Amino acid sequence: PGLSLVGASGPATEVLCLLNMVTPDELKDEDEYEDILEDIKEECNKYGVVRSIEIPRPIDGVEVPGCGKVFVEFNSVLDCQKAQQTLTGRKFSNRVVVTSYFDPDKYHRREF
Amino acid sequence: DDDDKKKKKRSRWGGSEHEKIFIPGMPTILPPNLDKNQEQAYLLQLQIEEVSRKLRSGDLGIPANPEERSPSPEPIYSSDGKRLNTREFRTRRRLEEERHALVLKMQGINPEFKPPLDYKPPVIRVSD
Repeated sequence: PGLSLVGASGPATEVLCLLNMVTPDELKDEDEYEDILEDIKEECNKYGVVRSIEIPRPIDGVEVPGCGKVFVEFNSVLDCQKAQQTLTGRKFSNRVVVTSYFDPDKYHRREF
Repeated sequence: DDDDKKKKKRSRWGGSEHEKIFIPGMPTILPPNLDKNQEQAYLLQLQIEEVSRKLRSGDLGIPANPEERSPSPEPIYSSDGKRLNTREFRTRRRLEEERHALVLKMQGINPEFKPPLDYKPPVIRVSD
């Protein structure tokens, strides 16, 4: 709807951003956060070597950039591509997973 | 230990890697250069379409296994003895409420947004 670019992934990188997957509310709870992290790590490790994962968590009274998104850094662009192909459109907590490649420099600077 | 492992809930990932949700006109791969508003609007639209799909198809996402369902409230019956607050009725109502909240949010970002044709804003009753 008005976004003709949607569907085009842009150039592949080694960092995958997963959207529409977690809500800030779910991340508040320590156990639930750990559980979500584990579920994502386990699945992503099937498609390649996961180097790091960032899930920005909510902080009261602060607008945390990227909160509600999940960032997964893979060992290679190829692994990241494989993960995107397999994970996009699947369901996580009954929500449809949306993905996009993310700029690795921004990722390392934590500019979510 | 073993007990802890058993207690861990099933993975949040649904279905196999081949089971994907396909919403016509709404791809799940985004370009990296969307601004915050574009991104939020797209996700809201996707959520509205997904809830609408459930309501239209009748595939409401009620778990087939009764053990995975939430506990039922006390039944309410109509005067002719039919149960009113069935699980389907409650799920539909919850989905309609969810869609209403999403439509309001979407219209906050994009006042021109046209909700799905089968969407009706809830009727506000002055007294019950």
